[in-house]
Amino acid sequence: MLKSKTFVKKTRAGGVMKVVREHYLRDDIWCGSEVCTECKDGAPVLQQDARVESDLCAYPHYLIPDTNVVLHQIDILEDPLIRNVIILQTVLQEVRHRSPPVYKRIKDATHEKEKHFYTFTNEHHRQTFIEREQGESINDRNDRAIRVAAKWYTEHLNKAPSVGELKVVLLTNDRANRDKAEQNGLLAYRCEEYIKSLTGNPELVDRLALTSDDQNEITGSKLLFPEHLPLSRIQAGIKSGTFLQGTFRASRDNYLEATVFVQREGDDSTEVLLQGLQNLNRAVHQDVVAVELFPKEQWVAPSSVVLQDDRPSDKETEEEEAEKKLESPVLDPSRLKPTGRVVGIIKRNWRPFCGMLNQSQIKEATRHLFTPADRRIPRIRIETRQASTLVGQRIIVAIDGWPRNSRYPNGHFVRNLGGAGDKDTETEVLLLEHDVPHQPFSQAVLSFLPKMPWGITEEVNTVWVPILFHIADVSHFIRPGNALDQEAASRGTTVYLCGKRIDMVPELLSSNLCSLRSNVERLAFSCIWEMNHKAEILNTRFTKSIINSKASLTYAEAQMRIDDASMNDDITKSLRGLNTLAKILKGQRIAKGALTLSSPEVRFHMDSETHDPIDLQTKELKDTNSMVEEFMLLANISVAQKIYEEFSECALLRKHPAPPPSNYDILIKAAKSRELEIRIDSAKALADSLNEAVLEDFPYFNTLLRILATRCMMQAVYFCSGMDSDFHHYGLASPIYTHFTSPIRRYSDIIVHRLLAVAINADSTYPDLMDKHKQSSLCNNLNYRHKMAQYAQRASVAFHTQLFFKNKGILNEEGFILFVRKNAIIILIPKFGLEGTVFFENNDKPGPRLNFDSEVGPTLTVEDQHTFHIFDRVKVTISLDASNIQHQKIRMALVEPVIPGVSVALPEPEPEAKKLKLDR
Amino acid sequence: MATVQVSEAEKVYVMHGVRDDLRVDGRGCEDYRHMEIETDVVSNTDGSAKVSLGHTDILVGIKAEIGKPRPMVPDEGYLEFFVDCSANATPEFEGRGGEELGVELSNTLYKVFNNRHSLDLRSLCICPGEHCWVLYVDVLLLQCDGNLFDAMSIAIKAALFNTRIPKVHISEDEEGVKEIELSDDPYDCMRLNVENVPCIVTLCKIAHRHVVDATLQEKACSVASLLISVTHKGMVTCVRKLGRGSLDPDSIFEMTETGKRVGKALHAPLMELLQKEESLGKKRQKVGFLA
Repeated sequence: MLKSKTFVKKTRAGGVMKVVREHYLRDDIWCGSEVCTECKDGAPVLQQDARVESDLCAYPHYLIPDTNVVLHQIDILEDPLIRNVIILQTVLQEVRHRSPPVYKRIKDATHEKEKHFYTFTNEHHRQTFIEREQGESINDRNDRAIRVAAKWYTEHLNKAPSVGELKVVLLTNDRANRDKAEQNGLLAYRCEEYIKSLTGNPELVDRLALTSDDQNEITGSKLLFPEHLPLSRIQAGIKSGTFLQGTFRASRDNYLEATVFVQREGDDSTEVLLQGLQNLNRAVHQDVVAVELFPKEQWVAPSSVVLQDDRPSDKETEEEEAEKKLESPVLDPSRLKPTGRVVGIIKRNWRPFCGMLNQSQIKEATRHLFTPADRRIPRIRIETRQASTLVGQRIIVAIDGWPRNSRYPNGHFVRNLGGAGDKDTETEVLLLEHDVPHQPFSQAVLSFLPKMPWGITEEVNTVWVPILFHIADVSHFIRPGNALDQEAASRGTTVYLCGKRIDMVPELLSSNLCSLRSNVERLAFSCIWEMNHKAEILNTRFTKSIINSKASLTYAEAQMRIDDASMNDDITKSLRGLNTLAKILKGQRIAKGALTLSSPEVRFHMDSETHDPIDLQTKELKDTNSMVEEFMLLANISVAQKIYEEFSECALLRKHPAPPPSNYDILIKAAKSRELEIRIDSAKALADSLNEAVLEDFPYFNTLLRILATRCMMQAVYFCSGMDSDFHHYGLASPIYTHFTSPIRRYSDIIVHRLLAVAINADSTYPDLMDKHKQSSLCNNLNYRHKMAQYAQRASVAFHTQLFFKNKGILNEEGFILFVRKNAIIILIPKFGLEGTVFFENNDKPGPRLNFDSEVGPTLTVEDQHTFHIFDRVKVTISLDASNIQHQKIRMALVEPVIPGVSVALPEPEPEAKKLKLDR
Repeated sequence: MATVQVSEAEKVYVMHGVRDDLRVDGRGCEDYRHMEIETDVVSNTDGSAKVSLGHTDILVGIKAEIGKPRPMVPDEGYLEFFVDCSANATPEFEGRGGEELGVELSNTLYKVFNNRHSLDLRSLCICPGEHCWVLYVDVLLLQCDGNLFDAMSIAIKAALFNTRIPKVHISEDEEGVKEIELSDDPYDCMRLNVENVPCIVTLCKIAHRHVVDATLQEKACSVASLLISVTHKGMVTCVRKLGRGSLDPDSIFEMTETGKRVGKALHAPLMELLQKEESLGKKRQKVGFLA
């Protein structure tokens, strides 16, 4: 049956448009219950025996949640205990409209077989479709649709012969809706009521989100925050320029301060400073907010005070004191920044937060504060009855809301990750905190893998040409647009942590089908160069190929073959040939101004059983590493040229912008302190001057300089050639560059493979590939994921370093000063590739006299006795500071040079460390 | 316009019949043919009506859009007419064949309907001098069997009656920037008062008498006709003479009187019919083009 849906909408130009959509009703939509004999459903989802232990509903029942229940209590619905739920299409559509993340979660839940969630398309069912009536709001209409569907289910199931006691229960927190449902003879309960009745699982109650109903109970206390403006006012304000829209970034060091990054039209962007709880007005890190600027007279400078919100309870006095501290008058007008206040929230960007519980001091209390691991997130008040078991555990908490009368946002407990300090828990925490998708691959994704055993069926002629460079043809397996592709695109990159790898594509591909193993036929994408012995490329070709690798060697094995003069087989000879070419290539690259930078990379030796780090060493590079790298670079550049030639508008490239000269200040000053000059006018000049900067009595000096130079660099990013004009890769001194060589661990490479395949007519194209805006947004995601992967990696190394030092006790090591700060020096320990800070100021005792000079060096003079210069050699003790269990860190203390009152005495660490090891 | 060839003998037959108040199809001189009206036939318009008069078939759709008022009358909305002579009606309209007729018809319609005596144009104003509703009246000739004007006017009146314009209100923020806000309830809409909307009565002079609602055959016997638009009170709002022949003042007077009488008699049953149709509500079985 055909119905038409009519609605009126406002067009962007300000006009009004009437839209008519066709809407088809059908009578072959099944109810999805095992009980029903009328519906011809092949595989009913809802079980016959849908029994849950409950005081309220002792009979088997199906649940029908309304939209608000799904939106707010998704954590509950995701619990394995909740099964046999009917999700109505009306609800699903509303959820999708209001919160895409919740929509995704509820969709995932419906796909899980054990959950027995059934999506009932009531909007297309002839008997449950309703039309909006006169004077009825959309919400009322939807509520009615939900009731009509529930009613239909009740009556429909009653017709079944084996129905027994089976009933349908409507879950809604809306009182009016519940009353009307009861009038219609339906069973309707509040969500809280129902969950509390589940006698079998009392812990579920903790996961209930606090809804507005509950908040009303605690009104009476005074309103702490100004009201947020409605969205319409905000939008009007932004249009007229009275408000600015931007992303809220809380300060890491000061909970009363934040900045809002405002991106205006063009490249003109400003940062607005916000100070004080009132002005922050309940914004949480990463929210998109509207801010109002204060007049210039009220502008302030960012405070340099470190403030942490760690008071035990809501005491107003301290608050005010803290705010006063901020208001210390600043005379220097140049430091004043645009200051404003938050008037409204445009979009909340709340996610579940990891952290730990601070147990309330009052025994038996159910309200507790939760401290997130991320310092930029305020503490969250949650309600739980299992506080004593949660103390010392890493838990996840979601924010539900932040009422005006509450000092802290309200939230609810989601999940317990495990004990703090535990390796698996901490790894999980850092994955979650860095937004790395790490769930196992879903069935939908895995269904796109080829069936095993897999063999090559097509025939391909192979051609022999001097140098062939093969990369596994991943794009053959990952077809555009399918679930596997979407998952890979969203993950963006494989994340390597210490002792753990989070794959971008399922294991079967990454370590079998797309791994060019020896003596097995594998699909490959090959780059073929004809080169003369001067390493000049005469001809470049790309082709899809089948490769049967003769030998798969590790870097070390290959190195041994090259070095071992007694080996003269074909493989070794060709390796030597390649190595010679690679050296020429490298020479050419460096002559062009490619930078050789250095950053200390650490590798842990893991205990094979406990997977605890037992030793760590910095990574060393062999000739063969460099050989492979050279050819990879060459392949990447060749491919970049090719795809840009073919698709000048939509080639995915990688660029590395030249840093602004001011970035180099620290490097130049540091070199100057040793009477050396660093020239930064070009990459070539920088590379040359870095090469020349060698001190004979200080062999590590050059490496230190290079580490410093690395810090001056910009981040390399992916971009779409149609959206940018500057392609230059500064670090590699190449006019054009892309990533082609690791499609199993980088999604960018898959796109590049596809582009290249289209360019050589080996594959067909698809619309998204040629859409530069889609490409560009893909690049943004990839850049974000890469950045996050890097952070996660660093955090993982840091955590394992802590574990390592925990086992070692206190160590004495030699290090070099990397930076000199106003009140501290930052020290690099080359042996561990570890960086740490030695503070000269302590919270509990007055600090020593410090004299900081930023002109030369910079230098720091302590107690007028010793002056620290950059790159000075010092001795420190290293130990683990576990005083704050949430943020454990490596503590360094100065041993040499000896400064009374500052440096510490040399401890006797050796026996202690040994004892610790034995204890384990 | 579509024409039929009529022989001299036929002409004489028709003229003699008219003289005796007996027309070829059995009607009297002031009788209309069988008429069918249905409203709300095109769902993506704001108002629509289909009228068939004999074999003449007219479809009218009205779309309301927001526009700028005319500078001379800043507090009024206005109507725009477009007559599409479909090649369905007659092969002569194929290509650009119907264009000339279409422009002529729409100009006449504009004269008849777009004035404040026919329709309360002030009610179409949203914000004086800035925003007003513009009603785009699209007339589609599906089949021509004479007396287009009368059929069109009835269809337009029915479509205007059927028109529902979404309610808007102007909101103003602190800076005085006005913004149009739309009610999210599709039932919340404005109706037009069609009481004074005139109907057109075309009178064809045949021999010494005149007839209303002439068929193509009768039209071929006539040399001149008079178009009169009459409101429900019998007020004449527009008179136009069509055709090559001439009319003497006496017969113009006579024809005007007939037109007033016939027009007045046309309005009452039309409004009654429209009201009755609306009272049937949503349950009414729509006929549309299948009739």
